[in-house]
Formats: sequence, C-alpha cells, structure tokens
Amino acid sequence: MSAFLKLHARVWLRTASMAMQAQLTYRLGSFGFLLGKMIRLLFFFAFVMAVFNHVETVAGYSLVETALFFLTFNVVDMIAQIFFRGVYGARRTVTEGDFDFYLVQPCSPLMRMVCSSVDFLDILTLVPVLAMVGMVFARLPALEWTRYAAYGLLTLNGVALVFAVHVIVAGLAVRTQELENAIWIYRDVMFMGKFPVDVYAKPVRWALTFGVPIAVMTTFPAKALLGLLSPAWMTYAFALTGAAAAFSLWFWLDCVRRYTSSSS
Amino acid sequence: MKKYRIAYSIALQETLQRRSTLLMDRLGGFAIVVSLYSFWNALLGDKPSFLGYTRPEMLTYVLVINVLRSFVFTGRGWQLVGEISSGRISSYLVRPLSYHGYALALDLAQKTVHAASSLFEVSLLAWLVSGGVFLPRDPATWILFSCAAVLSSLIFFFLEMLVSSLAFWTSESGGPLFCFELFLQFAAGAFFPLDVLPENIRRLLSATPFPYMVFFPARVFLEKVPHAEALRLLGVEAAWLCVVILAALALWRQGVKSYAAEGG
Repeated sequence: MSAFLKLHARVWLRTASMAMQAQLTYRLGSFGFLLGKMIRLLFFFAFVMAVFNHVETVAGYSLVETALFFLTFNVVDMIAQIFFRGVYGARRTVTEGDFDFYLVQPCSPLMRMVCSSVDFLDILTLVPVLAMVGMVFARLPALEWTRYAAYGLLTLNGVALVFAVHVIVAGLAVRTQELENAIWIYRDVMFMGKFPVDVYAKPVRWALTFGVPIAVMTTFPAKALLGLLSPAWMTYAFALTGAAAAFSLWFWLDCVRRYTSSSS
Repeated sequence: MKKYRIAYSIALQETLQRRSTLLMDRLGGFAIVVSLYSFWNALLGDKPSFLGYTRPEMLTYVLVINVLRSFVFTGRGWQLVGEISSGRISSYLVRPLSYHGYALALDLAQKTVHAASSLFEVSLLAWLVSGGVFLPRDPATWILFSCAAVLSSLIFFFLEMLVSSLAFWTSESGGPLFCFELFLQFAAGAFFPLDVLPENIRRLLSATPFPYMVFFPARVFLEKVPHAEALRLLGVEAAWLCVVILAALALWRQGVKSYAAEGG
C-alpha cells in the first residue's frame, strides 16, 4: 500500500510540476486567466457587500454569514479546480487515444485522468479566499473548537463529494466519448452554491440537498460553523459522500471494463 | 449576401443537430437564472421594492438578462483564436468572402437557437413565479428594447473579434479573452443591476460601452428610461458600435498583415 501511494505521489508531483512549467511558459495567457478569476471573485464579493449597504439580512443571514457561505463555496470549488482539473479534458483524452496509454501505464488510470492536471492559477486565487475566510472567522462571535472542526470536516466532505461527481463525469467520457458539456453543467449548477440554500424555494432546496447535493458541498459546512446543522444532517452528509464515492468508483471501473478503445 | 445566408442556414442546422449539447447549455443557463431569481426573491423578502425596483421589476430584470445573455453573449471569439493559432484561418482568407460577415452569419444562427430557447425558459419561469412579471404595454418600448438588444449584440460580436485578433501576434490570447469576457459580463450588468454598485464605479462604467449591453436594454424593457432619453442613449450605443467596428477592422487588417500561417 505504501509503495502504491509513493508511486502515485511521485507521478502526481511530476505531472503537477509539468503543469506548472506549462503555465509559467504561457505567461500572458496565464496572467489573463488569473486576472479573470480574480475579477469574478472580487465582483461577486463587491456585489454581496453592496447589497448589504441596503439591507440588514438576506434569508435571515447577516453580511458576515452570507460572506461565509460565499467563501465556503469558493474554497470547495477552487480545491476541486486545483486537483480535479483533468476531467475538463477527459473527452479529448479518450477520443484522441491518450486514454489507451493511461491504461497500459503502471499507475491508476483514474488518477491520471482526474488528478494529473493541476491548475496552479487556482492556488493563487485560493490564497485571498482563505485570507477572507480568516477575516470572517475573526468577525464571528467566539465559537467552540468543535464548530471549527465540523466546518473543516464538512468542507473536506464537500470536496470528496465533488471528487465523486468528477469521477462520474470522467466515466461518462470513457463510456460515451461524448458529453463534453457534462462538467460544464456541473459548473453552472454549482453556481447555485454561491448563496445559502435557504434562499431557494422548497422544491429547489430539496433537489439541492438530495438530488444534486450542492447544498451538502457548500452550505452544510457554513451552517455547521454557525451552529445551524444538526448531528443528523452531518451524518447524512458523510453517509451521502461515502455512498457517492462508492458508486462513482464502481461506475468508473464498469466504464473502463466496457472500454474498447476509440482511437488508434 | 447569398453565401452568408447559406452559411447561416448550415450553422443553424448544425446547432439544432447537436441537441444534447444545446440542451446541456440551456440547462446550465437555467440554473443560473433560478439562482439569481431566488437570491433577489430572498433579498426582497417582504419589502415592496429594492433600489427602486419593485418585486415584479426585479424578477423581470433577471428574466430579461437571461434572454439578453443568450442573444448578446454568443460570439465567435474562441473560434477565431483557435483558427488563427492552428492556421485554419488561412482557408478563410483565400475565399471570396468577408471573414467578419461569415462569422456574423454563424453567430446569428447560434443566437437564433439560444434566444428562442431562452424565451421558452423565461416564459416557463414567468408562469411559475408567484410575484408576477413586468410586461411593457407600450409597443414603442418593445421596439426600443429590440433595437438596443441588436446593437448590444453587434457591439459584443465586434468587441470579441477585437480582443481575439490578438491571436495574430500571440498564441496566448486565450487568457486576455477569458478575462475580458468575465469583466464584461459583470460590467454589463449581466449578473445584477448596476444600480447596486457605488456611484463612482457606476459613473466610471457609464463612460464605456459595457452598460449599454445588458443594463441599458433591461432598463428600457422595464420602462425605467423615458422614450426620448432612450432614443438619445440608442444614439450613444450606435456611436459605440461604430467605434468598436472601426477598431476591430483596423486591428484585423494589421493582424492579417503580420499573420504567418503558423501551424497551417
């Protein structure tokens, strides 16, 4: 097991290093992408701040609390962008035949497909987000350490759930060689996680908790920190992630088993 | 003119043929509308109005921006970047047609399908929402809105062409284009009405063509701009269009001179 992990860590470090070198070579392009990501973050943050110049609360949440939801969404989303970026090119990897090479390499094809492309620009964007999370923490009343622990664990749980979604999308690419847009639908639906799930109507809230669990990924951690999430919901969140991870891995293996090579 | 009509017709058929891609595109856009709609709905709460927008007006703003996003923000910038970088643009340069005219015909086909789909989505949402929507009774408003939307769409098309033409000089123009598109969407009011922003930022933005692309047509639709003032602003919008067209064509001519058919 240790040798397996060491091997994959080495492969990941090598591919991550190559990705970083490519981004450093592509200076103007990388700068443009980085600036764009910063603009998106700052504009939305400015929007939330500006809204609270005119109102006291939104769906019962104050500015600091709304900022916490928004920033938690960004933390989960950016970590996923940093580590699971490979899925965005999954269809191309399959149709151009590169996936055949992944299969003959002594390394997990899932790791190669999902995790081998690291977006360092998102690491740079994550730094101000984490700083802002720290500022929000400082403005909250004194909380027990268990709340922070629950926040941390549920944020990691959210990332694991996002990973499961990415694995399913990668599996779809292997099985169908199509559905290029599946990951973009996820991105657009994920937009709904920018706001606390309480702003949505009941059926939408239900769908975001049990159907496409964006709420579990982004709203639950912030709610746990604010003391608004019961232990039963926390259990549900961890159980859902466990089930989703198990299903996604089974689905991936099944897709690989049926794969018959799509290119020479 | 006939060749552009044929290009439009072929592109229309192609867009309609890729139904799953279209469906997924629309589904993602729909999620964003539901999200923004719910946020504004929660923000309004029991209040009769916010920043001078009544509930039906604010909800209509969200629905109108969905239509405008589909009609305005479907350019050919990324295709142009790809065609220049790969050298495929050479095959267009030797044909007896204007590249801009050809790209405009293809863009128009995409706009036709997306605008029709967005109208369907908006009608569905308008039927579902409880707060009601604002529909202008004066036919002149509809005419002014349509003119503003057409001009916005053309401004976006040529602005995107302008930024994408950087690909003639650098293979890294994707970054600046990404940054430009994100900035433009916020500065145009495609996520929230610009009234939310502080006065000095609003004044700064009003000196650019961006607010004319979504914010102005949406306000015309909501009859927030008197007709005489709307006509004057349409004149300003038309002037911006002329400036952008001239700049795009000038940069294009310079770009073609320095084009080395790399990769072609």
